[in-house]
Amino acid sequence: MPNLSEMDILPRALVRRPNFIYLNSIMRLISARTVLFIVLAMTFAVLGHWISSCTDINASPADPIDGHSAYVFNKTLYEEVRNMPQQEQMDSVLLDNLNLEVRAIFAHKCYQCHSRAKSKGDLALETREQVMRGGGDGEILIPGDSRNSRLVQRLELPRGHEDAMPPKGNALLKEEIQMIKWWIDHGAHWSEKAFKQFRAAPLALSLPSIPDHDYLDHPVDIFVDQHFSQHRITRPTPIDDRRFIRRAYLDLHGLLPDFPVIEQFVNDPRPDKRSLLIDDLLRNREAFTAHWMSFWNDLLRNDYRGIGYIEGGRKQISDWLHDAILNNKPYDEFVAEIVNPTEESEGFIKGIQWRGVVNASQRSELQAAQNISQTFLGLNLKCASCHNSFVNNVMLDEAYAFANVFSSEPLEIFRCDKATGRYSNTAFIYPELGEVVGDSLKDRLASLAGIMVQPANGRLYRTIVNRFWDRLFGRGLIAPVDEMDKMPWNQDLLDWLAAKFIAKDFDLDWLLRTLMTSETYQWPAVEYPSDAYLLSSEFVFRGPVARRLTAEQFVDVFSASVVPIYSGIDYDPDHREMKAQWIWHKEIELDRVAIPKPGTRYLRKVFRADLDTPLKEATLLITVDDKYVLYLNEQKISEGHDWRDVKKISVPVSILKEANCIAIEAENSGVLPNEAGVLLALEVMYDNGDTLRIYSDQSWKTNDRKSEGWLLTEFDDSSWEDAQRYGSFGYSHWGKLPEFTFDPSPADPFIRSAYVKKDLFTTTLNRPMRDNVTTKREEETTLLQALMLTNSAFFMERISQGAEKWYARFGDDLEGLTEAMFQQLLGRSPSDEERLVVRNSIGQSPTPQDIADLIWTVVLLPEFQFI
Amino acid sequence: MKPPVQDRRQFLGAMRNATVAALGASVPTLTYLTSCGRPSLASSADRVILLWMAGGMCHTETFDPKRYTPFEKGMATEDIWSTFQSIPTSVDGLQISQGLENIASVMDRGTLIRSYRAGDLGFILHTRHQYHWHTCYEPPQSVQVPHIGGWIAKELGPDNPVIPPFIDIGQRFTVGEGEELKAFHSAGFLGSEHGPFVIPDPARGLESVKPPEGMSIERFEARMKLYQDLIDKSPVKDFSSTYQQESLQRSMERAYRLLKSPDAQAFDITQEPDQSYQQYNTGRFGLGCLLARRLAEMGARFISVTTEYLPFFGWDTHENGHTRLVDMKKQIDRPVAQLILDLEERGLLDRTLVILASEFSRDSLVEGRPGQKVKDQVEVPDTIDDMKNYGMHRHFTDGCSLVLWGGGIKKGYVHGETSPVRPFAAVTEPVLIEQIHQTIYHALGMDPETHYKIEGRPVYTTPDGMGEVLQDVLA
Repeated sequence: MPNLSEMDILPRALVRRPNFIYLNSIMRLISARTVLFIVLAMTFAVLGHWISSCTDINASPADPIDGHSAYVFNKTLYEEVRNMPQQEQMDSVLLDNLNLEVRAIFAHKCYQCHSRAKSKGDLALETREQVMRGGGDGEILIPGDSRNSRLVQRLELPRGHEDAMPPKGNALLKEEIQMIKWWIDHGAHWSEKAFKQFRAAPLALSLPSIPDHDYLDHPVDIFVDQHFSQHRITRPTPIDDRRFIRRAYLDLHGLLPDFPVIEQFVNDPRPDKRSLLIDDLLRNREAFTAHWMSFWNDLLRNDYRGIGYIEGGRKQISDWLHDAILNNKPYDEFVAEIVNPTEESEGFIKGIQWRGVVNASQRSELQAAQNISQTFLGLNLKCASCHNSFVNNVMLDEAYAFANVFSSEPLEIFRCDKATGRYSNTAFIYPELGEVVGDSLKDRLASLAGIMVQPANGRLYRTIVNRFWDRLFGRGLIAPVDEMDKMPWNQDLLDWLAAKFIAKDFDLDWLLRTLMTSETYQWPAVEYPSDAYLLSSEFVFRGPVARRLTAEQFVDVFSASVVPIYSGIDYDPDHREMKAQWIWHKEIELDRVAIPKPGTRYLRKVFRADLDTPLKEATLLITVDDKYVLYLNEQKISEGHDWRDVKKISVPVSILKEANCIAIEAENSGVLPNEAGVLLALEVMYDNGDTLRIYSDQSWKTNDRKSEGWLLTEFDDSSWEDAQRYGSFGYSHWGKLPEFTFDPSPADPFIRSAYVKKDLFTTTLNRPMRDNVTTKREEETTLLQALMLTNSAFFMERISQGAEKWYARFGDDLEGLTEAMFQQLLGRSPSDEERLVVRNSIGQSPTPQDIADLIWTVVLLPEFQFI
Repeated sequence: MKPPVQDRRQFLGAMRNATVAALGASVPTLTYLTSCGRPSLASSADRVILLWMAGGMCHTETFDPKRYTPFEKGMATEDIWSTFQSIPTSVDGLQISQGLENIASVMDRGTLIRSYRAGDLGFILHTRHQYHWHTCYEPPQSVQVPHIGGWIAKELGPDNPVIPPFIDIGQRFTVGEGEELKAFHSAGFLGSEHGPFVIPDPARGLESVKPPEGMSIERFEARMKLYQDLIDKSPVKDFSSTYQQESLQRSMERAYRLLKSPDAQAFDITQEPDQSYQQYNTGRFGLGCLLARRLAEMGARFISVTTEYLPFFGWDTHENGHTRLVDMKKQIDRPVAQLILDLEERGLLDRTLVILASEFSRDSLVEGRPGQKVKDQVEVPDTIDDMKNYGMHRHFTDGCSLVLWGGGIKKGYVHGETSPVRPFAAVTEPVLIEQIHQTIYHALGMDPETHYKIEGRPVYTTPDGMGEVLQDVLA
């Protein structure tokens, strides 16, 4: 019979709130002994699972990725001590290591409450003196006697017991407690060795030479081959040309290659065609930039809309960034211009400022320090912004010293949002790399920039190399990519790449080219069991991990192959301008301008034209959300029902008079109040080169009802309202419409989504908020994504439009259609089995609906979705 | 030899607890073994409905009326206390504001907290306070903290696999401070799987969960079959890991099942019998309450229905306070009461926690809280001549009303008081947002220690896990 004390060790949580109602009836049916047996069996089964998942540092895959473990329990040491014969004395090395391990345990499980910074119960565990002195209740350990040491007793209390240590958070592993007991029993030795709580990567690059190899000459391949030999992994066979060109296009341009281009590539006899392709793709700077802008926007927390803009507390760096990518700015300059910015690039260190009181750790200077550390150095300063870090070696004072670089006045140090009365000095986070000097803020930033980009700061270059590796191979040399103190799976490879990157003048194109011309890049995607595996200590590199199309890639390849998704652009690298404004009838509700209700509104503009000089031609641009009929001098000259469809009308000059009237009957559709607007521009050209331009603006007159003669120039509209402005050509709900231009040259075939603001569609596809730095996006398909892709009206509408186009091209020819669609979207012809499946599903004569369904199916195939 | 009687009883007692605990523990709702493996506590609620009065619902005009001061040309602003008269409720001695007669009749089913105090953020920005209210963390934060709905969706999981656990009704994100709203309408670091399913217009709720417009069920099924067949017959399988492919396929199947499921009909409010529909039909918010009830019946976990935040509209009265509130109360009165009654009638109220709340309150004079005024954002004249100036136009954070019904909440109880004279701040038993969140989690059986390590930092459901349960409001 178990004694009661064993029963006591059931965690309190499990014995809280017994449900007596069920209990009594059950108890009557079963004998006490049987119950006991059942109870014990179930309890231990449950407990075992519970304990292991509670104290398992790498918990369940359901946890968001835990980057915490720069600390890993030292199993080797544990085994060594455990296997020691009973009576043997520990040698000094073992004593040292045991103590250092115990101190690591204290650091990770106890410092939160028992350190210099915060000493609950008056107990700190950082130094020998503190540990031996104990706390308010006296000594916590008796050297040589773990059994009677209060430290051990409290560690061994059941979870939930009010005196158990730690009271919350991760309990100690049984093995960790055992280590502490051994340490105490062997005399509680305290090592002289420097205690570095966490692994810190060396700042300088080792400069490995490339090993000799029998048949490989690409350095990346050689290093990888070393790794493969170590792990006895067989080299895979590179993917075929078809696969390769698709991957290269998506990785460099975020687009698919056209089928004829694929065919040509496949049939190209040149042995170096793959590397030539990379060069070609890198040369097309517009396409390249339109893809890589998203990568950098994520990393530099840059977006065209977002929190903070309405208050003026945030600034874009879009122009600077676009230019930097387009012109392949060397990375050292890139970093220097972010750290020591011009007006164009200052948005990153400016941070996001909210009006009002903000937690001290989120002051813009601290944001700057955190963001620079994360993005460029792969170092987490967020913890150390409030207190000494529990995840790396950074102290609060050090984080503040770094933040002080960005401050015009010395910062007062706040610990956990409470003022300490101490003011910070100024230093780079790695002071060994150089002293930040300068009397003014500008001088200090310049000084910092110089320190950061010097080659001695290998970490800066490792970090970017690792990010690119992660981008191209699906999992970095170090993972997570923001924890550059962790061990890479191959140090030589990482350091060689970083060193060479410096030697090649910090050329990011070189980096891409180098990675993508390796055989390693050309290998097929590997099998792996789960996302948790990629971050676990079990991970072994065997080849690239397939990547899911990003939101932007999906939108862009769809736009190119099916139908353009977007009509308006929110960042225009070409800075097109137009004076036209989006106008509508002003709706007032109780003294406030409200969102336009559905309904028809009337807009008028009267203007004079000089008819003495001969007129050459007149062009009118118009678009309306949602529908309109346009009259000029009483003649109907245009109508429309979709704002995405910008109309460009050649106006016969004979219509024009000395006094003219534009009249528009416009309708806002829908049920709820929603955005509505008219955008119009008229250009009248004279023979002598003069022009007259009329734009939609607030001088127009509007009304919610028409009356007799409203189309006439002489109509008295003095009782009508002045038009309300709902946006400018460049900035509005609809985005800038590239088609709205007098320019005769055709606009780009479609808008790249990197330049469009985030919407529900791309958000659902994991485009991030960007009010924090994002260094890796979620890739998993969620139910919400699947729902949206299965039935969103926005998406279905575009698929239908695309289907119409395909139908117009192929009509009845299902075979031709299937062939072309597979080629266009998957880069290959359909197999006979696939053709049969399509035939069976659609039948003889495809309708536009059938085609829509086929398009939908193909773009959601895993083969389409993964790179 | 048997132990003496006393010991045996003790032993059986301990064993009894263990049995029950062990029996309870082995019931296969194994989601309790997430987040540091703490088993869930007993719960009094299975789901939450948040009725969000966006924009700052004035307590003295709704649930905490003061002396009635009718409009008089030339009256001093400081003399304007409540612009509505008081009415009795189904709770003895409790009066609330005219215009809420229906809600008054169901106050005996729940608890009214009159002493809620909103955070001190140094400046009044609605979306900042709303962020704080919904996530329990003051922005800016260095990580993406989740909406309370995200926590609940993650920890409790779906009740019905075909109904998304976290549903958000009534807010559009393309208007007003849309960007700021998006910042907290997300599951943040918990992953977008637990994010909100957004239905801006409840009248069109079904559109999001049925086969696409114009697509017959046959065509919908044929399309899915085409999809699955093409995957099966694909000659190419090695472009990604099996894990990745299956993950994608699984989600697509789940979506398909949802869209085909008869349970998805819960999203279609037109299926509601007409009489009931009309009870709710005071506008978008009212219909949102109806949709929320239907979804609660069908197994959603956290449903938020909002009157919608649009700067200067709704409860955000910068002028015409009295006039606007007449309409706001009409919008909420019948539907909220009907929701409570319907849940009760269906036997769901006991396990459904309904909360009616706002980010802060209003006052005609004080901006912020007494002693900690923030920058005035509204010009308020000393005397008023026009109905336009008659009402509560400044943002007041020191005393707000919050109502809780069902899910283990005490019935017919009033918690806390505000001052009988201006400033109408909480004077007894102040309540903070951490307590509200923890009480909700407690009702749902979620351990206060629930946390995840994000970039090394443990992030709890309430800051540092310190939120205390408000025991007084629990039955």
